[in-house]
Amino acid sequence: MQLVFDNLPFLLKGAGFTLLLTLVSMFFGLIIGLVVAIARLKGNLPIRWIARFYVSIIRGTPLLVQIVIIYYGLVDYGITLGSLTAAYIALSVNAGAYLSETFRGAILSVPKGQLEAAYSTGMTPWQAMRRIVLPQAMRIAIPPMGNTFIGMLKETSLVSVITVSELLRQAQLLIAQYYQYMPFYLGIGVMYWIMSTGLAFILERFERRLAKAY
Amino acid sequence: MITTTGLSKHFQDHEVLKSINIEVAAQDIVVVLGPSGSGKSTLLRCLNGLEDISGGSFEVNGIVVDATASRRLRQQATRNIRKQSGMVFQQFNLYPHKTALGNVIEGLITVKKLPKDQAVTIGRKLLDRVGLADREEYYPSRLSGGQQQRVAIARSLAMEPAVMLFDEPTSALDPELVGEVLSVMRELAQEGMTMLVVSHEMKFAREVATKIILMADGNIIEEAAPQRFFEDPKEERTRRFLRQINEI
Ligand SMILES: Nc1ncnc2c1ncn2[C@@H]1O[C@H](COP(=O)(O)OP(=O)(O)OP(=O)(O)O)[C@@H](O)[C@H]1O
Ligand SMILES: [Mg+2]
Repeated sequence: MQLVFDNLPFLLKGAGFTLLLTLVSMFFGLIIGLVVAIARLKGNLPIRWIARFYVSIIRGTPLLVQIVIIYYGLVDYGITLGSLTAAYIALSVNAGAYLSETFRGAILSVPKGQLEAAYSTGMTPWQAMRRIVLPQAMRIAIPPMGNTFIGMLKETSLVSVITVSELLRQAQLLIAQYYQYMPFYLGIGVMYWIMSTGLAFILERFERRLAKAY
Repeated sequence: MITTTGLSKHFQDHEVLKSINIEVAAQDIVVVLGPSGSGKSTLLRCLNGLEDISGGSFEVNGIVVDATASRRLRQQATRNIRKQSGMVFQQFNLYPHKTALGNVIEGLITVKKLPKDQAVTIGRKLLDRVGLADREEYYPSRLSGGQQQRVAIARSLAMEPAVMLFDEPTSALDPELVGEVLSVMRELAQEGMTMLVVSHEMKFAREVATKIILMADGNIIEEAAPQRFFEDPKEERTRRFLRQINEI
């Protein structure tokens, strides 16, 4: 265990990257998810079809495969990405697909009467979406969004395969150096656990604050 | 103010409105009666563009929607009509994420693009008019049904409509809350608002309406001034309807 403490700064740097990967890909995932959800609900036929295809592919394949395709596979087509860039893209695109499903469900669960009331005061479909439907949908989407968020924190460990120096990768480097497995794996296990329960705690408070609003 | 000419509506092969001709003049209070499923809500929804019409045409305050016109023209006309007509729903449909005042000023800010302080001034005046000046900060979940419906009426009035459509505004209310909504509607009528009201409130119809229309199975059965309608109906169907109402 002493080994873990001696190398704590090295591991904490990895944990920092894990958090950064989570936050950045969640941010872009939210934007992608919202755009795709609206495209699927309001777009014309080809756009709806493309959006559906995207969601289906991402949800139907392992994240690990998506990561290696973006990092190693695209090289064949002359697209060479840095490992960190590839990680951001893979994780954002992946989260976007799942979040789009969350948003779509949430938008659909806003009662039809809300739209009708908005239309009857002369709002355009876009105004009604932005001012009336989305604020209500977001509230409905927050608990499942929180789950995706925490899931994302753990799934970032997969980008260790493309040598991004996040928490798991840092542990593997230390293991290669000291030929000791258990202390490092246990150590990062605890660190993941602290981060995800911390995140869950923050999200829960946020959720409760929003729930109180009306 | 409102004229429909051969207005028809079908859902798939189900004919819900069969060539409806009605006329609502300025300052008229027209009450539409009829059994459940007769097409009353559908008629109002067509007039507010919430349903696309299948045949015929209608006109609201000079704006014409014709079933034979292109879809784009119809949608454009519909949007203009909505700016001139208010609609009040059976289920209120208040925005739950906005306060009473927020509900009233939403259209002023989003559609009319008024500055916030100006919208708030108008909103407060309207809440006062429906007797809810002290509830402006309340969210709908903390208002009674009657209060919610009055906020909904204020929200419609905020857009300064030339005509108001009411679809069973008191049907979802507990009996003791019906009166407060009806009295707001009576005041509106006295102030000269043009109103088309679907309702089962017979006393209101008798006392406030300038004309009663009975609908059944997508047709207009009879239309007459209240006195004649209730005292001396011409149609057998109307007599049957009034007998059924009186039994309840
Ligand atoms: N969106 C829809 N799709 C298919 N059928 C519909 C739709 N909306 C209404 N209908 C049908 O149209 C008919 C008329 O409905 P409408 O709601 O206009 O009746 P109503 O007179 O308002 O009845 P109520 O007094 O119960 O409110 C009903 O048979 C109903 O089932
Ligand atoms: Mg109805």
